[in-house]
Amino acid sequence: MKYLIRAIVLGIVGYIVGVWLTLAIRGGSPTDEVAVVFGFILALIGWLAGIGGIEAFGRQWIGKTPEVSTARGWQRYFQFTVDHKVIGIQYGVTLLGVLLIGGFSAMIMRIELASPGMSIVDLEEFNKLVSMHGILMVAVAVAGIIGAFGNYIIPIQIGAADMAFPRLNALSYWLVPPVAIGLLSAPLLGSFSAGWTAYAPLSVGGDSGQILFNMAIITFGLSSILGGLNIIVTVITMRAPGMTWGRLPIFTWAGFATALLAFTVTQFFAAALVLITMDRVAGTDFFGPDVGTGILYEHIFWFYSHPAVYIMVLPGFGVILEIATAFSRKPLFAYKAVVGSLLTIVGLSVVVWAHHMFTSGMADFLQAPFMILTEAISIPTGVIFLSIIGTLWQGKLWFRTPLVIAFGWLFNFLIGGITGIFLADVATDIFLHDTYFVVAHFHYTIVGGSIFALLAAFFYWFPKITGRMYNDKLGIIFAVSVTVLFNTTFLPLFWVGINGMNRRVGDYPQAYESANKFASVSALLLGSTFLLFVGNIAWSAVAGPKAGSNPWNARTLEWQVSSPPSHHNFRSQPVIVGPPYDYGVPYVVFPDAEPAPEPDESGKEVLV
Amino acid sequence: MRRSWLPVGLLWLGYTVLLIALTKYVAILPAQWAEEAQVVDEAFILLMYLGSPVMALVLAVMTWGIIGWRSDGADREDGPNQQNNRVLVTTWLVITSALAIGVLINPGFVGLAEIRGEPSSDYVIGIQAAQFFWEITYPNGETALDELVVPAEKRVRYDVSSVDVLHSFWIPAFRVKIDAVPGVPTQVYTTATAEGTSDDDVNLRVQCAELCGAGHAAMAMPVRVVSDAEFNEYIESLGGSE
Ligand code: HEM
Ligand SMILES: [Cu+2]
Ligand SMILES: [Cu+2]
Repeated sequence: MKYLIRAIVLGIVGYIVGVWLTLAIRGGSPTDEVAVVFGFILALIGWLAGIGGIEAFGRQWIGKTPEVSTARGWQRYFQFTVDHKVIGIQYGVTLLGVLLIGGFSAMIMRIELASPGMSIVDLEEFNKLVSMHGILMVAVAVAGIIGAFGNYIIPIQIGAADMAFPRLNALSYWLVPPVAIGLLSAPLLGSFSAGWTAYAPLSVGGDSGQILFNMAIITFGLSSILGGLNIIVTVITMRAPGMTWGRLPIFTWAGFATALLAFTVTQFFAAALVLITMDRVAGTDFFGPDVGTGILYEHIFWFYSHPAVYIMVLPGFGVILEIATAFSRKPLFAYKAVVGSLLTIVGLSVVVWAHHMFTSGMADFLQAPFMILTEAISIPTGVIFLSIIGTLWQGKLWFRTPLVIAFGWLFNFLIGGITGIFLADVATDIFLHDTYFVVAHFHYTIVGGSIFALLAAFFYWFPKITGRMYNDKLGIIFAVSVTVLFNTTFLPLFWVGINGMNRRVGDYPQAYESANKFASVSALLLGSTFLLFVGNIAWSAVAGPKAGSNPWNARTLEWQVSSPPSHHNFRSQPVIVGPPYDYGVPYVVFPDAEPAPEPDESGKEVLV
Repeated sequence: MRRSWLPVGLLWLGYTVLLIALTKYVAILPAQWAEEAQVVDEAFILLMYLGSPVMALVLAVMTWGIIGWRSDGADREDGPNQQNNRVLVTTWLVITSALAIGVLINPGFVGLAEIRGEPSSDYVIGIQAAQFFWEITYPNGETALDELVVPAEKRVRYDVSSVDVLHSFWIPAFRVKIDAVPGVPTQVYTTATAEGTSDDDVNLRVQCAELCGAGHAAMAMPVRVVSDAEFNEYIESLGGSE
């Protein structure tokens, strides 16, 4: 705790110094945007130094050996700890909190949208809610699976003791709380109302909260880039002997593909926001109405933000494929084709951005190429579906909570994918762009594809991470009700959009009332099902039975070590002798799933 | 392996028929008031048809997974060690690529060409967007703010611009939209097919479809489609009222 307190104190001191210096140099008021920018930067530095940067990096700069905490108890979660498992949990808990806040803002929006006219907020407040909800949720979807489970599981899956750069990993995580604090404190400066997309020139005007949005998201980008770099290097260099590329578990492959994207494209969003920040505080005029750069921002923004949807969803593919093999007791179907598809998606995803701009007024000759490339992505995505189908095919499906959620995922992402074709087609997109059809579509892909996978991952790896089981019946009830209520919330919104309701509006014509009311009631029920989720965790903490090392009898390496795994995961260096999913091979015997305090098998599998 | 093909196949067929029937008999699209709307709606329906078997396949597998492949799991028995099936993967790739190319050609290119149409028009109407209203400039130079009047059966070009931030000029009943971009003029064409007012259809309205600030939701105005003669009368009358 003392580090956290020191971080907060130094953060506040940093903020004050930043603001004070700015005022000393140029005068003005402490709420001027320039002052806020410098305050934020110094606060960030103070925070990082306080949380443990002084020991982990600072000491090295003055010629001493760096120190990192080796605390074992709960305190390690509140300081600069380099253990990848601790960092995974830190990410998970932080982002779950952000998800709940984002969900809460969705509830307020749905209450407002239950009937036409304004009831609990006004139009501008509604825009602020949409923007806050959007950016918080995007952050969760971008970093949720990869931050929490990527960090926790990937090193174990490849037989490594930790990430390649443990200190960098801790740094990536500790950049995240300032992002949340920055975004959530934006209302103090009037919040931001230009949507999570922050299109210029709208975002160049507007309340000063926008500047906190910019600083927070630039920081978040830094965290994504460093996290991506770390995963790339870890997967390349830290694999156990025998863990060839062809034996890499699919979740690791998916995480690797995601990291490649996060590492290469995130800077574009940051760059776009730097330009806006300069326009706001440094007197530049990149996006002024008379400059003629009308859609430049959109190009830069979507160059990041289209790949970002794959940053959100590729780890989801990994999770669902992992669950599909473990719960149908069959090898992953067409492993090589899946890997090829993941990498193809990475490649294609950086050349399709302008499908978000079919109505933007960009040159006409650009429409056809972007339509072609976009529809080409459906082919590798189809292979992922093929693999899921092939894996389930005549398997021994074991319907425990993770598989039930995976089925929900499959249904949702199917709808998300098919409705995506309507938005890739120029003719239909010209109609549907910026309507509720799009809102429904991206909730089916982001919530359906990424958040459902996050939940599936949670229920799949929970026993590994905590060492305890949850209540499976309750888990299944939760899984079914979330899936059903999610669909009753968002299916009507397709209809609403097709029938002429545009997005990002707090008020709408009478004609759309009944469908909106239905969606609102569903949404409130959907929100309340999360009580079941929280209840289940509480049940597990109080009464959950010990999970043992391998409750699902799964094959990847993380299930061959104790739950939770010991400090450096493996007692001795594991050696990999076979493919990751050799279900149904008669001569292979696997270590028993009895609770084992410490792992003692050095290899993944024992041949008899 | 063989025994699942039949039930899954039947389910697939059943779901496909169901989805196609739904597409055919449930009217989800709003009324059409322009030729462009016909193009868009045709493309939409075609995509629904093409999407149906795809959707149905996954639904069939999911359904049969729950009914036919369910197993207790406690016996810890494995399923068959089926790792790959080159023929199946290749066939899948060929079919999905063919589908993608099909969708690209029609509705893709066909729709793109039709929705753009010929770059010729009977009338040109200027639309200038500002926070949070539209200023209309009719062919005779007269301007109006409260209502957009367009002639039926005539091809109209809208020259769209913005004086402040991004907006988007959208008439849901005509389906088309184009952003109003500060500093960059944009254009869109429509040909209205029937006379009507926003009392007949809520979608006969100009609606801003790009977040532009506090008044975005309310940045709408009614559209009235009238005969060519009435249109000319109307725009003349605008001058007289000054
Ligand atoms: C109970 C669940 C949820 C409900 C009821 C809900 C509802 C809404 C509503 C009403 C909007 C405004 C739509 C508009 O006018 O454009 C919205 C926007 C959005 N939502 Fe959600 N949402 C939920 C969960 C999520 C989740 C889990 C995510 C992502 C992980 C998410 C991501 C977004 C994004 C990115 C936007 C766009 C914001 C913008 O336009 O700037 N939502 N949501
Ligand atoms: Cu995209
Ligand atoms: Cu607007």
